[in-house]
Amino acid sequence: MSEESDLPQGGSKMKRIITGNQAVAYGVMLSHVELISAYPITPQTTIVEELSELCARGRVKAQFLKVESEHSAMAACIGASTGGVRAFTATSSHGLAYMHEMLHWASGARLPIVLVNVNRALGPGWNIWNDQSDSLSQRDTGWIQLYCERNQEVLDTVLQAYRIAESISLPVMVVLDAFVLSHTSEAVDIPSEEKVDGFLPPFAPKYPVDPMKPVSYSGITTPEYYLEFRYKIQKAMEEVPEVARDVDHQFRSRFGRGYDLVERYGKDEGEVLLVTSGALTGTARTVIQKMAEKGHKVGGVKVKMVRPFPSKEIGQALQGAEKVAVIDRNISFGVGGILAQELRAGLYHREKKPPVFGFVAGLGGRDITPDVIEEAIQYTLDHSRPDGDILWLGLKK
Amino acid sequence: MKKMEIPSSENLGRGHLACAGCGAAVAMRLALKALGEKTVLIIPASCWSIIPGPWPYSSLRIPVIHAGFVTGGATASGIRAALDIRGHENALVAVWAGDGGTFDIGLQSLSGAAERNEDFIYICNDNEAYMNTGTQRSSATPYLAWTTTTPAHHPKENPKKDIMAIMADHHIPYAATATISYPEDLIRKIEKAKEMKGTRFVHLLSPCPPGWRIPSEMSVKLSRLAVRSRVFPLYEIEDRKYTIQEESLKEGVPVEQYLRLQGRFSHLKSHEIERFQKMVDEQWERLLKRARC
Amino acid sequence: MPDQITFTHESEMPYVPISQGDMEWNKTGTWRTQRPFYEDKTPPCNAVCPAGNDIVSFILRIVNGDFEGAWNLIREENPFPGICGRVCFHPCEGKCNRGRFDEPIAIHALERFVSDFASHLPGQKVNGTKRQEVSKKRKERIAIIGAGPAGMTCAYHLARLDYDVTVFESLPFAGGVLRTGIPSYRLPREVLDRELSAIEALGVKVQTGVPLGPAMKMEDLRSYGAIFIAAGAHRSKRLHVAGERSRHVLSGLEFLKAINLGEDVDIGASVAVVGGGNTAIDVARCLIRLGKHPIILYRRTREEMPAFEEEIGEAIEEGAEIKFLVSPVRIREEKSLKRLECLRMKLAERDETGRRRPVPVPESSFFIEAESVIVAAGEETDLSFLPRGVKKRDGIVLTQTNGRTAVDGIFAGGDFASRERTVAHAIGSGKRSAVAIDCYLKGEDPEKVLQSLLVGNGPSISVFPFFHPGGPSRNPHVVAFEELNMDYFEKARSEKETKYPLPERIKGFFEVTSSLNERTASEEAGRCFNCGTCNECENCYTFCPDASILKGARSLSHEVDYDFCKGCGICFTECPRRAISLREEAR
Repeated sequence: MSEESDLPQGGSKMKRIITGNQAVAYGVMLSHVELISAYPITPQTTIVEELSELCARGRVKAQFLKVESEHSAMAACIGASTGGVRAFTATSSHGLAYMHEMLHWASGARLPIVLVNVNRALGPGWNIWNDQSDSLSQRDTGWIQLYCERNQEVLDTVLQAYRIAESISLPVMVVLDAFVLSHTSEAVDIPSEEKVDGFLPPFAPKYPVDPMKPVSYSGITTPEYYLEFRYKIQKAMEEVPEVARDVDHQFRSRFGRGYDLVERYGKDEGEVLLVTSGALTGTARTVIQKMAEKGHKVGGVKVKMVRPFPSKEIGQALQGAEKVAVIDRNISFGVGGILAQELRAGLYHREKKPPVFGFVAGLGGRDITPDVIEEAIQYTLDHSRPDGDILWLGLKK
Repeated sequence: MKKMEIPSSENLGRGHLACAGCGAAVAMRLALKALGEKTVLIIPASCWSIIPGPWPYSSLRIPVIHAGFVTGGATASGIRAALDIRGHENALVAVWAGDGGTFDIGLQSLSGAAERNEDFIYICNDNEAYMNTGTQRSSATPYLAWTTTTPAHHPKENPKKDIMAIMADHHIPYAATATISYPEDLIRKIEKAKEMKGTRFVHLLSPCPPGWRIPSEMSVKLSRLAVRSRVFPLYEIEDRKYTIQEESLKEGVPVEQYLRLQGRFSHLKSHEIERFQKMVDEQWERLLKRARC
Repeated sequence: MPDQITFTHESEMPYVPISQGDMEWNKTGTWRTQRPFYEDKTPPCNAVCPAGNDIVSFILRIVNGDFEGAWNLIREENPFPGICGRVCFHPCEGKCNRGRFDEPIAIHALERFVSDFASHLPGQKVNGTKRQEVSKKRKERIAIIGAGPAGMTCAYHLARLDYDVTVFESLPFAGGVLRTGIPSYRLPREVLDRELSAIEALGVKVQTGVPLGPAMKMEDLRSYGAIFIAAGAHRSKRLHVAGERSRHVLSGLEFLKAINLGEDVDIGASVAVVGGGNTAIDVARCLIRLGKHPIILYRRTREEMPAFEEEIGEAIEEGAEIKFLVSPVRIREEKSLKRLECLRMKLAERDETGRRRPVPVPESSFFIEAESVIVAAGEETDLSFLPRGVKKRDGIVLTQTNGRTAVDGIFAGGDFASRERTVAHAIGSGKRSAVAIDCYLKGEDPEKVLQSLLVGNGPSISVFPFFHPGGPSRNPHVVAFEELNMDYFEKARSEKETKYPLPERIKGFFEVTSSLNERTASEEAGRCFNCGTCNECENCYTFCPDASILKGARSLSHEVDYDFCKGCGICFTECPRRAISLREEAR
């Protein structure tokens, strides 16, 4: 529950204990989002509720369209963004899947919409718990995807997301884990409005709809020209890592903290490097530290940006690794864990290709405890090659 | 001597790709005269996604946003919000959707927007099938009509959905039927809708020569027969009050005159025509009853 | 000229598909397989009018409020609208396409309204339209025999062509049968005088009281460049029954002439009138106004009566008694009463006029008594003064359609040269002969010229293009009812002229009908379909899916933009009056 008196004015640092979803709401508030359009789905609902509350109290001066489905939520955001205002939506799981058609549209229309997705499993059977399959199965839609480890990162990433999106004219998906982040309270520094305004200027769209300008948007495009538009989207994606780094650099200097696209942590040289994304990384850090203290040559890599796939940065991060272990809290049926697959593809052209151990764990909210992580790392240490493309952790057998 | 009095502004350029005799082209041309220049028009997937021409061209002389098939109501809601935020409150937001994008796949989005009473004019250009993809049936296809998915030996078995009743029950301020053979009526209704706020719905019947299997010169005549046979009566619902236009209060002509001119009904036997007539008569009685309440 | 836009390098393109131009470079006219075009056609009224009036056009001017313009337009063809509007048998109304929808347009009433309106114009403007290139009087002189409708129409057009025209009239007054045969309750004298004076005002010399024979011979006219004989048919046909040539038996023509010239007539209180034509009816109606009691005896039934239907109706309203299927075979006199022995008739097979032949019913004789008898059994010409060489047959002069007789330079027309004995036919023949005379004097081929002036399929001609070269000519396509689109018309009653009520009506010879007024005339004119004539209703412009009907371009009020017209044909179908034609276009 937010209280007006608690929100910081001026430049003072103020930490509050808030959930991941609340952090999203504050990020949206500070970003001066002008149009919010969302449909409730567990575990995203408290984002929407928090925003409603902030709207009702005038803290969020956005128009709130209470649409009747997620597909319409994204369509309304597309309408609003084309109309030249900063738009926001949030969803999860089936809601994101329902939006799928419109995700393609948003990126094709080069609209700097920010969507927060709370990672949740897809049914059937109905499952409301933490799973990355929903966001990762949208990786082909042309959206930038940024994953968050902590609630602070969630708030900060929302702010950075608008900067990146509006610089490059591509939509950004900010992802956080269900319940582990969304409903778990952590200490979060909520920056002042003034400070954020200095970092994030108002939206200045390139082709806003002008009622007096008779142009048509997004009309039929024949084979003669469609290729070039797609080329431009890819080119824009290729510029994203540099833009994101630049934005993070500015963020760091203003707010005193920042986030690498790919972060290498732990020992400089590791026999095994464990690659994770999202909240799982937090647990991984602890396990790796413990194992390193025990003398294992293990380190970790946190992947924040999954789209565009940061091959260069990952290559650098995996420098010197003998073996790579990936824990995917997701699966692409017929192939395996998605990060593992992307990694393998990213490493393919390198001369030195460390074996990639693709672990799949935690689907549908199955707890990934430190023991499970340790088991994965240990397995990797103990084997020269993985025993198959997919290594299931915690399977009942 | 009656002279057509319609605005002289032309916001539909020439060289567009509509078929010869396209009812929807007549409809758009007339509607644009009423909507005026300061209109942002949202076009979900339909024939009118193709007709203005491919990028980099457009024969529509107003701002147009092509949108996903499903999304007429939602996109309009977003555009409306954006324009208001940016100070363009007096710009009109309108949607031009087909029957598919209104009755079927777009119904959810329209229903949501109408329930919220979003501020835009929604025009359903109804040619009674998915014409753009080659004449497949929609829930706007009339009873017993041929389409590629309801062939002559197994024509459409269900009657046309009553979209006006559906929209009226959303408690929107204004809903009206219109068609190309009554251009002054069509223009009057859109101009009237322009003066209102909230969700305003126009159900516009546009004959389609290839889809209805009629010669290209018959589009306007069939539109008129649809009205005169009471298959498509002209009426308005304003704040729950019904007004049936005089043209529709005249005695109806037998529906056979309307059906026999269309290839998509050429397989109909006389008992089926009788059944159709009975349906039209019942539908008319229902309308009268609702109008009286 | 809109250009196509091409991009050869992706850097030239915007990063989103936002339109850059329109589609006007895409000439969709190439899609056409049929081509619409504006083409005025002849309405059935125009086609059937023996006088060659441009009815649809003068009605359009009334609709547009230009009554004077309507009058000027009529007088391009016909100098007698006030007369025709009152006495013509209006075949135009019989063919009027509106008659197939509700009621035909009361064209005669509109023609009359226009003339009556013009009579109130200041200075009584006369249509002085002359042929453009002729600026001074021509040297040829033309003699016209007979100042009736045919003769005076011929004089009128010849005067407009700047010829020196003299009309020789045997009676003391001009007008011919208009003066002698039509009573003033149908045609007021001031209307007749007004329209005759207007012709004289063009410089036509009318010499009255100059009958051919005693006062003047044909040879005396040799110095004239051409002669037009339109002496009419003023001799009564005889019944050829015993007692026909006795006292108190008069001819209808003589009776009417006396009445119309204001002379006294000695006639009894009860009168048997034998005949069924306009003369018989007019005789009966005059008698009623004189307080007499007429009984009309006609040998066939009402359907076969050649008199105008309205006249028959009015006569019966006024109290005339008509006995049908009755024919007198003998006229006796008994105690100063005429006793007609009559036979009942029955109808057998049709004769050469298409009417069923009356045959007597044997042993059906009966008697009718009356103080006087008037025989109105038809009229005949007096061909006695014809010069040698001019051929004749069956009581009329033989001429070509253009009026040429067998003798060069001598033309004939009107009732004198035809069995079509109506005012409108007379006017038409006078007009044709005027053109033929002009061609004769110039050495041109009259048939060729007349062919180019035909209205519909003829024989009427329009002289409008003769006087205004370069203008539109009449299209032979006559518009049928089936070619019109009734979707644009609402049923409406015809505005009727008012009639003087009975019993006042028969108290004198004042005019029975009164004209429409500006409002009723405009409304009646508004009912006209304008068959085959664009009246700028704007349907084509409204319904074109490709915005390819251009308004107000150059001289035409509407034009098709063939660069973009896809040939759908909607304009053709929705034109209520078939002013647009459609033809196939090969690709």
